[in-house]
Amino acid sequence: MTQLKLLVTVCLFLLSQFACATEKVVVLTSYPQEVVTQFEAAFEQAYPQYQLEILWRQSRDAMSYLHQPHSAVDVYWTPAQRNFAVLSKEGAFRKLDVDLKGLPKVIGGFQISDPDGFYVATETAGYGMAYNPEELHRLGLPVPTDWKTLTSPAFNGHIVFPIPSKIGYAPMLADTLLQSYGWEQGWSVLEQVAANAHLADAGSAFISDDVGSGRIAVGATIDFFAISAIANGKPLRFSYPEKVGYSPAHVAIFRDAAHLEAARKFVSFVLSEQGQKILFHPDIRKLPVRPAVYANKPDGYFDPFASAQLASYNYDMAAGLARQEVVGALFDALITRHHAALKTMWAAIHQAEQKSPDDPRLKSARMHANWLPLTTVQVNDALLQQSFIKHDSQAENAERQWDEEIAKQYVQATQLAQEILESKK
Amino acid sequence: MMIGRACCLSLALTLSLPVIAVEPSVTTDLTSREAYEQPVSALSEADRPKFFKGRNLVRQSWVIPPSENREIAGLGPLYNRISCIACHAGNGRGFAPATPQESMHSMLVRLSIPGTDQHGGPNPHPGYGGQLNEFGVPGVPGEGKAEVSYTEFAIKLNGDEQVMLRKPSLTFVDLAYGDFPADLLTSPRIAPPIFGLGLLQAVAEADIVALENAAKPKGIQGKVNRVWDEAQQKTVVGRFGWKANMPNLRQQIAGAFVGDMGITSALFPLENCTSVQTACKLSLSAGTPELSNEQLDASEFYHFALAAPAQRNPENAEVKHGAQLFTQAQCAACHVPDLRTSVFPGYPALSNKTIHPYTDLLLHDMGKPLADNRPDYLATGQEWRTPPLWGIGLAQKVEPRAGFLHDGRARTLLEAILWHDGEAKNSAQLVKDMSAMDRRDLVEFLESL
Repeated sequence: MTQLKLLVTVCLFLLSQFACATEKVVVLTSYPQEVVTQFEAAFEQAYPQYQLEILWRQSRDAMSYLHQPHSAVDVYWTPAQRNFAVLSKEGAFRKLDVDLKGLPKVIGGFQISDPDGFYVATETAGYGMAYNPEELHRLGLPVPTDWKTLTSPAFNGHIVFPIPSKIGYAPMLADTLLQSYGWEQGWSVLEQVAANAHLADAGSAFISDDVGSGRIAVGATIDFFAISAIANGKPLRFSYPEKVGYSPAHVAIFRDAAHLEAARKFVSFVLSEQGQKILFHPDIRKLPVRPAVYANKPDGYFDPFASAQLASYNYDMAAGLARQEVVGALFDALITRHHAALKTMWAAIHQAEQKSPDDPRLKSARMHANWLPLTTVQVNDALLQQSFIKHDSQAENAERQWDEEIAKQYVQATQLAQEILESKK
Repeated sequence: MMIGRACCLSLALTLSLPVIAVEPSVTTDLTSREAYEQPVSALSEADRPKFFKGRNLVRQSWVIPPSENREIAGLGPLYNRISCIACHAGNGRGFAPATPQESMHSMLVRLSIPGTDQHGGPNPHPGYGGQLNEFGVPGVPGEGKAEVSYTEFAIKLNGDEQVMLRKPSLTFVDLAYGDFPADLLTSPRIAPPIFGLGLLQAVAEADIVALENAAKPKGIQGKVNRVWDEAQQKTVVGRFGWKANMPNLRQQIAGAFVGDMGITSALFPLENCTSVQTACKLSLSAGTPELSNEQLDASEFYHFALAAPAQRNPENAEVKHGAQLFTQAQCAACHVPDLRTSVFPGYPALSNKTIHPYTDLLLHDMGKPLADNRPDYLATGQEWRTPPLWGIGLAQKVEPRAGFLHDGRARTLLEAILWHDGEAKNSAQLVKDMSAMDRRDLVEFLESL
């Protein structure tokens, strides 16, 4: 009898294990495999009763997928801020009913989590400069400590800069620069850095390849690419500017999640100390959003909460996300499509400044060089932003007009600088 | 002529120390976790974009159709993992689950029933096909799950040393397309490393045949597998895969795309559904095929151009001593240290190089303990291809849980050696009989590769 009881107990136990093992949680993400692999393994170990099923889609594609009926996703976990904002506004998420203690909603002046609590930051990444110390030394160049360092003509040809319309992390990079320096000065810095740079698009080598191999001395990038490469042995370093810009990733549970308890467990795990420490893995190297875990960070690991206490600025995340396409289009007009002219122009201006720093024509040359098709007020116009999101005829017309005017302005700036260079004095 | 050269080469190698000359153009000195991801130094500026494109494809997480990103869509209907590097992390080898509860993160199970297909290869199960795909796209049930459990036992070695070995066994759960038949043949396989494969393809077929025919120490045979080449539509020498059941890299890559991820290509244009998998057959494809020829070219080129790690510390006394022991124990009879590539039009930079892969690319009977009892072309259920040893010392640096042998049962190199049986029984016994210090030097040598 006792043996029978034992057998029944064992069978019930096995049955319950079997039943639990079949419960899954479907998570949509665009994280690279390295991130998925580490979280998948750790979550499975912590919660063997749940099967984690990953669906992978890039941000835009994810939105199309999620707008289909029966998309059957429980959790959205990804670095795609605008998607979270849009989906939240559409009422796609449940209010997160998991323990959020110890998770600040801001880093300095950066809002990283939804103030209404429908989605929260899971990690963040900072923008800065990857550099090859040996190559910098060979070229006699200083270690860059701020974006402005890279505007020096000495860096000409030794920088790689990502094109915002082509590389996923680059729109925020450009916009944090525009917000930290201000609209006009920000564009001026961007243009001068880009004039010194090779422009990277989606088909290029990783910036960490070019800088790690010493082919290029400095690369503007998001930190984890470089810091993970450093952790895995690449001979490069990373420098954050004084005012760091961040790109947070988020997690949310869908209102209609079919596997709600498993979804809660996954979200809680990602936000837990254990989950946050996974971000220190050499293949990931993202910045945890739970400040407590920095107490055990690897040597030299950047702590954004500590950094924000030293220098910070208010970044308007909503504005930055809304104008992403317009800023990308402006970058292409001012920089990508006129790159050769931009390089010639800034080289001439810098030479002219060296030759005759007091020449009154320099002010005019710089005015033409810094000409912008849109003001900071215009770029925040919602109708214009929608037009560029759809990339409709209005956007195409605007781009054509910008191109014509920019070409003229660059010619005028270059001519003025050359006049100074050719003048006797 | 070719036979004579290979004979001399093989004989020389079994009688003398391995030659550890550095070939800077096809090896990398990098020893970091990215050691398996380096291009050969001969990679030209013109070839860099293709290399990086291929790398992006290997790193790409694939998308279930329909998708706006047509070029990366095609995952499923049935699949094991969503990217190549999910199994080949850092381009390295995979590992076996430690417990039945753990999923097969970088491992799969081949399936077949007795008999052969029309080309002499394994006969796929009519309901499940040639491998168990754990996942299905929405609306398509995954095929089921394989769970691994182990029986541990101790092996006593000279010098009062004892090593625990674990013998795996498989259980299948959640089978969605009916029970398995009693005579089902199964073979669990961890993902092998993917660097240096271009160099192995650049070894001439005739040289592999010559190795088969070369004189070897008593008890050691070595056999060429002959397998179906889809592109050429004929039987050729097999050289890739745990049983040398793949003729070339292109077929290996296209086979993995369709088998592991359900992504079709010109070489394998049909989705991986069997006749009874109705929902699978009705599922959307992302294109015909899903992987373009250009993508397959780039992926193949990336694999061609991946360098093999150079040996570290060859002058270290323990490593040198270990190398001597490696030869004395006749390990080098199968793990042939030196091969020579031939003229290789696929990527001329790999032509005419002396390489140090520590393989003969031949099948050897490894005895009952390692048998999967699942024939694969000419490979019997006890035969396995000699796996290359180059770079093996970095395996657990690249992937800390990397396992050894076809099913990852060996957690250390010494465990892997102790599993050797069949043609390698004498070698394994010699290692068991060595002093503990000699065994450490032998492993030290392997770690240097």
